Amino acid sequence: MATRLKPVDAVTIGVGLTGSLAALEIAQAGLTVVGLERGAARYTVPDFQSPPIHDELRFAVRKGLMQDNVKEAVTFRNYSDQTALPIRRWASFLPGTGLGGSFVHWNGQSFRFQEADFGYRSHILQRYGQKFLDACGPELTIQDWGVTYAELEPHYDRFEYLLGVCGTAGNIQGKIQPGGNPFEAPRAREYPNPPMKETYFGAIFRKGAGSLGYHPYPQPSSNLSRPYTNPLGLKLQQCVFCGFCERFACEHFAKASPQTTILPVLLKNPNYELRTNCQVLRINLDSTRKKATGVTYVDDAGREFEQPAELVLVTAFPLNNVRMLLLSGIGKPYDPRTGEGVVGRNYCYQTTGGATVFMDENININPFMSSGAPGTMIDDFSGDNFDHSKLGFIGGQYVGSIMTGARPIEFHPTPPGTPAWGQEWKRAVARHYNHTILIQQHGTSTASRLNYLDLDPTYKDAWGQPLLRMTFDFPENDIRMSQHVADKVVDIGRAMGGKIVVRGGTKRPYNTTIYQSTHNAGGAIMGSNPRTSVVNRYLQCWDVPNVFSLGASAFPQNATYNYTVTIGALTYWALEAIKNRYLKAPGPLVQA
Amino acid sequence: MIPRRIRTVMIAALAWFGANSLMRAQNAGRPPDLKRGAVIAAQGTAAGAPACAGCHAFNGGSDASGAFPRISRQSAVYLASQLHDFATGVRASAVMSQVAKHMSPDDIADVAAYYAAVDAPLLPLKAGDSALIKRGELLATVGSAEKQIPGCNNCHGPGGAGEPPSIPYLAGQYGSYIASTLHLWQQGYRKSNPQGMGLIARSLDDQDIAAVSAYYQHVPSSLVGDIAEY
Repeated sequence: MATRLKPVDAVTIGVGLTGSLAALEIAQAGLTVVGLERGAARYTVPDFQSPPIHDELRFAVRKGLMQDNVKEAVTFRNYSDQTALPIRRWASFLPGTGLGGSFVHWNGQSFRFQEADFGYRSHILQRYGQKFLDACGPELTIQDWGVTYAELEPHYDRFEYLLGVCGTAGNIQGKIQPGGNPFEAPRAREYPNPPMKETYFGAIFRKGAGSLGYHPYPQPSSNLSRPYTNPLGLKLQQCVFCGFCERFACEHFAKASPQTTILPVLLKNPNYELRTNCQVLRINLDSTRKKATGVTYVDDAGREFEQPAELVLVTAFPLNNVRMLLLSGIGKPYDPRTGEGVVGRNYCYQTTGGATVFMDENININPFMSSGAPGTMIDDFSGDNFDHSKLGFIGGQYVGSIMTGARPIEFHPTPPGTPAWGQEWKRAVARHYNHTILIQQHGTSTASRLNYLDLDPTYKDAWGQPLLRMTFDFPENDIRMSQHVADKVVDIGRAMGGKIVVRGGTKRPYNTTIYQSTHNAGGAIMGSNPRTSVVNRYLQCWDVPNVFSLGASAFPQNATYNYTVTIGALTYWALEAIKNRYLKAPGPLVQA
Repeated sequence: MIPRRIRTVMIAALAWFGANSLMRAQNAGRPPDLKRGAVIAAQGTAAGAPACAGCHAFNGGSDASGAFPRISRQSAVYLASQLHDFATGVRASAVMSQVAKHMSPDDIADVAAYYAAVDAPLLPLKAGDSALIKRGELLATVGSAEKQIPGCNNCHGPGGAGEPPSIPYLAGQYGSYIASTLHLWQQGYRKSNPQGMGLIARSLDDQDIAAVSAYYQHVPSSLVGDIAEY
């Protein structure tokens, strides 16, 4: 029997980026909030200190900071006529667990999306027409977000100042700025901090890409270029380029995370209570099924509790947001045969890959001296920055030299034809380790009616609940796009002086055993029509208005860039509506 | 602990590339001359720098007064960079600036290489206050949540063994020297890293400084010789 606890005003399911950010806003507005985190509590001091935190085997290879897939896996298949099997070792994507969530092991790559990304369908139809879009793939189900870039801009600004993002503005209020990204959406003001120092591989990329007429700029970073005090009064320190960023936690207070930028203030707020090691099983609904009454969770001793709450914020990793809604019976599950239903629809990912550029032996790259977002890059092929009318696809990718540490176990670049082991392999690694540059391609993932999330009919988690089932392959459109960009990247690699340039680009079928990106998106998407979206433009569930589903699960499709900063902006946007409108008059913020 | 081999590979790589580029910049390919360095340590330079051994001893162990740092087995790159900083005033010291100004780039390279290669036994010192040492260990290994500072060992290596080439060891260093130099960092007399070491020193109070100083003097420096060779 579940023990019924004292009711609170609000509860968050997950305490990562969205969970800590939303809780702070609500607690500061005077409401009582309980944060339920399935993983352990952990802090910069003492948990993230080196040398233990620099254990590549434990954290990078064995994924020490990720969701425990012995207890809770995701099942996967490429197509709906296949049988999905559980992913027992994370590789393609890495959902974090524990206090701070994936916002602890992220790299700090801190982009905004572009203006056209938010009205994507309208933009594509206006520029290229319906016939063009149909020719790209009749299965594509791209949508507008229901919110515009201009509406999000103040929230982007606020979130960037919270993190202390380092960069060079490319466009301030419509005026193109020297040194920045000329394709950038207009921002109100400069970044809070100057960009990171350019690395040697970045300088070589800048020269090569620049010689071809492209527009290199420094990658915006939430690894700090200088000490910074954020608007909450929390201090961040200068990044030391230790080379252990993605998949690791930062020991130096130099990477923005809940631990460094939000939690110390949130945890002191008397309206807030954090409960860790609490696995939420479901959101409880009343008999009308239009109102949530709270959540049921299990603690680490196996005791079941019911936590009543007036407001439920689903703030887990995007995949787990979708699963929580499905387990709770909120919203109609998507049916790929009829195209009806919404929960699980428009699951999207990210197209990645890139070239490996083998340089001359006298060029010492020193790639081990690096941060999580040390890149020099171009946006000439991002999103809709180039004319697609003769190309037969939509979308694009950013291109940049971004090497985040070249750690000893996992970084062994060797040219094609090198044996996979033995003396010759060792010789090739020694020859190329310090003379190889990686160029990243990173871009759009187009929604398709064939790709979706639902509950697995066979496999269950440690608490006896169905696992989430992922059905996904890249649409042909995205392969054409990525391969088009791959050609351009080979040219850049040659212009950088590469002796051998190995071509990259995304290929089919999608394979979950190779790391690609942790930018899982969609499945509980936002929009202006309840028949094609789970949440409205304020991330409020159409069917149960006192439940909000925050985060990248709301993206109707995925844009070119690493998505963390957009998640933060969207969270602030939703919280503004919750604080200023919903709390005054609880109920639907948009009439269906 | 991080697997030792991995650490060693990384440190070796860092030291190799870092040291290489520095040497090239300063000495145009001339390898440091340890014998010449030993002569400078013992006798000073013709230009007028006094013998290093006068304060730091011929083996770099200095003396138990703790007024002068141990420099035995300290990274050559670090020692050379400090001498350059003394000469230019980036590191202000009435005594050491005068010494360094009377040394040529080659003198600096040679004497730094000499002291990096020479062993000095740890002198028997009075046992410290164990509560203070305990507190220092906490700051050294995990830092302070309240002050938002990382543990010293993140940069200065496990047990304070140093991260050569650029970051000095602290293990076995005289506590009174560590304390005095942390105060110099606080007051801006050491300017080479205002946003790193300067900021951290300013976050420490006198109690913190006493604690980390007591801790590092007490840590056996068994790791030091092992990695300073690179």
